[in-house]
Amino acid sequence: MSLLILGANSLIAQAAAAHFAEAGHEIIFGGRKQDEPEKYAGDFSIRYKIKSRAEYIDALDYASHKKFIEDLLAKTPDLDYVLIVFGYLGTQDKAQADFTEAHRIIDTNFTGIVSVCELLAAEFESRKKGNIAVISSVAGDRGRQSNYMYGSAKGALTVYLSGLRNRLFKSGVNVLTIKPGFVNTPMTYGMPLPKPLVASPEKVGKDIYNAMIKRKSIIYTPFYWKWIMFIITSIPEFIFKKLKL
Amino acid sequence: MKFEEINLSGFGKYPKARCRVTRPPGIFEINEILKTDSVLARGLGRSYGDSSLNDKGVVAESILMNRFIAFDEETGILRCEAGVTYKDILDTFVLRGWFPAVTPGTKYVTMGGAIASDVHGKNHHNVGSFSSFLLSFKILLASGEIMECSRTQNSDLFWATVGGMGLTGFILEAEIQLKKISSPYLTNRSLKLKNMDELFDKLEEFDADYHYSVAWMDIVASGKSYGRNVLLLGNHAGSDELTNKLKAISSKKYIEKKISVPFEVPFATLNKVSITLFNSAFYMAAKNKIEFVHYDKYFYPLDFILNWNHIYSKSGLIQYQLNVPEDKGKEAIDKVLKKVVAFGGGSFLAVLKKMGAQDGILSFPFKGYTLSMDFPVKKGVVEMCKVLDEIVVDYGGRNYLTKDSILDEKTFKQMYNGLWEKWMKIKMKYDPENKFTSNQARRLGLCPS
Repeated sequence: MSLLILGANSLIAQAAAAHFAEAGHEIIFGGRKQDEPEKYAGDFSIRYKIKSRAEYIDALDYASHKKFIEDLLAKTPDLDYVLIVFGYLGTQDKAQADFTEAHRIIDTNFTGIVSVCELLAAEFESRKKGNIAVISSVAGDRGRQSNYMYGSAKGALTVYLSGLRNRLFKSGVNVLTIKPGFVNTPMTYGMPLPKPLVASPEKVGKDIYNAMIKRKSIIYTPFYWKWIMFIITSIPEFIFKKLKL
Repeated sequence: MKFEEINLSGFGKYPKARCRVTRPPGIFEINEILKTDSVLARGLGRSYGDSSLNDKGVVAESILMNRFIAFDEETGILRCEAGVTYKDILDTFVLRGWFPAVTPGTKYVTMGGAIASDVHGKNHHNVGSFSSFLLSFKILLASGEIMECSRTQNSDLFWATVGGMGLTGFILEAEIQLKKISSPYLTNRSLKLKNMDELFDKLEEFDADYHYSVAWMDIVASGKSYGRNVLLLGNHAGSDELTNKLKAISSKKYIEKKISVPFEVPFATLNKVSITLFNSAFYMAAKNKIEFVHYDKYFYPLDFILNWNHIYSKSGLIQYQLNVPEDKGKEAIDKVLKKVVAFGGGSFLAVLKKMGAQDGILSFPFKGYTLSMDFPVKKGVVEMCKVLDEIVVDYGGRNYLTKDSILDEKTFKQMYNGLWEKWMKIKMKYDPENKFTSNQARRLGLCPS
């Protein structure tokens, strides 16, 4: 059995992968920075005594995705789990002033993932098995002025995954939407976040592993974000639009 | 690159300084910082004082650079990035029959930190410190050049970097020799001793027979109980010695149980009554016995309580660790202990052990006896420590920089007489502009302020 990670530098993905590795799965680290995925693959093969390797993929180089997936499946025909963590937070202010930034946010968080997911979906659909897990975000549940560029790309991703799950259900392929809250990673480093609400990558990684193994559909991690987002999405728009969020 | 500006401190929570902190994922980012700022590498911040602080530049945490690079199952030689911790090594290799050859009293220490402090353990009298098993390391210099250092390659930089408090460069990778073990247990022999004379006799009698040896001393008791202690002697247990129950446990993955002190206690829980009780209780509960002890409990008893430093409230603690020469060692320690008892004692027990010879230029250990104590920061503590400094200097001893937060430049230079000058020459050769600096280095005159 094997797990493909797309976005190898993510601490959350590595934490989830550690559980798969402990269970003896092969881990393939896909990422854009050439040597980083290789370092993780080397580390995992020593730490967990498993097979592990690195593959080069750029989320924004759509034309390369087809060959990437074909080559990957040729080398790893028993691929069962895919965890996609491609993501780019960007800067809201910059994205408002400069469409290049907005475009990059949308493409990394949405377009690139759709491109890869469609290729994987076609393969898994014909095999009638497989698991696709993708990290979306609580930020995609409702747009807020402080990060609606990132939020809207994640919101689109959430809707896309909902449709994909609906399509693949009859083929026995599971699609998991992961909605993490604040996590202590390089992405949030230095941000003034409320400390009690910031989870460790290990906690979130474990939640993701459990949800993938149990073939869940949607998870909030840590779980209390479900209730936080329930409250946030319940606020009537005529009030919400006046809030400083 | 992202920075966080925070009130940073070492594990003693004293002193604190406003520092710009970042977590570089690799060499490129460290070089970027070096273009404009001075840098200090920091691991998990387990040194006690200000040796991991740099309020005049950037503090770069190595925690993202924590990958294993190569392991030879035959020889037990491990190559890894500098952010790899003792915990990583234990979790991965104990089940495969390998153990860190030298370990400090917490497993939350990175290999970079272990090199910079040249950490020692309960087996120093037999095998020396961490650097004795450090085969080589890779370091990023102020010039941007990356150098591999060992006993034969760039050996001046090798010896200036072990125990060099991170001031020669940014340590990137380490190659270390692990020790072969056949079980995760140790055979521990406890000896309950009435005074220091008994302790020094027993150290002479037993130290050669036991790989590990350390004594816990009551530093509150006066009068007839003065100097009472418990000597703990240990060896790695062979798998064939274990009971069937322990054999069964040994073959499975070890899962730790931990508790945490979730917040700083708002007032001083450590007062005369509580520390006297604690010191007495430890001695009263001790028995002369031989037992099997799991490595986690044996080496890392305080890791069981995460953030145990929180019990010191906001003001924090001062750790004081000295080493005095073997000759007149007992006399020096007796003088120190009398001062401490007269002051009203430390908070926990003091730890005393015999030390062997050591090579690193600024490495703390040398042949003699070491005593370590901690004191809650309160009125009079610093002054009392200054009195202890004088005794240490008088006897030709020195303090451990990894614990230090209060030494002045003059005293430090007396303690490391002849050594700091030698170290400084190598520092100037590889880092002439003092791009690597810390609050402690500036206080001790190892870097200009």
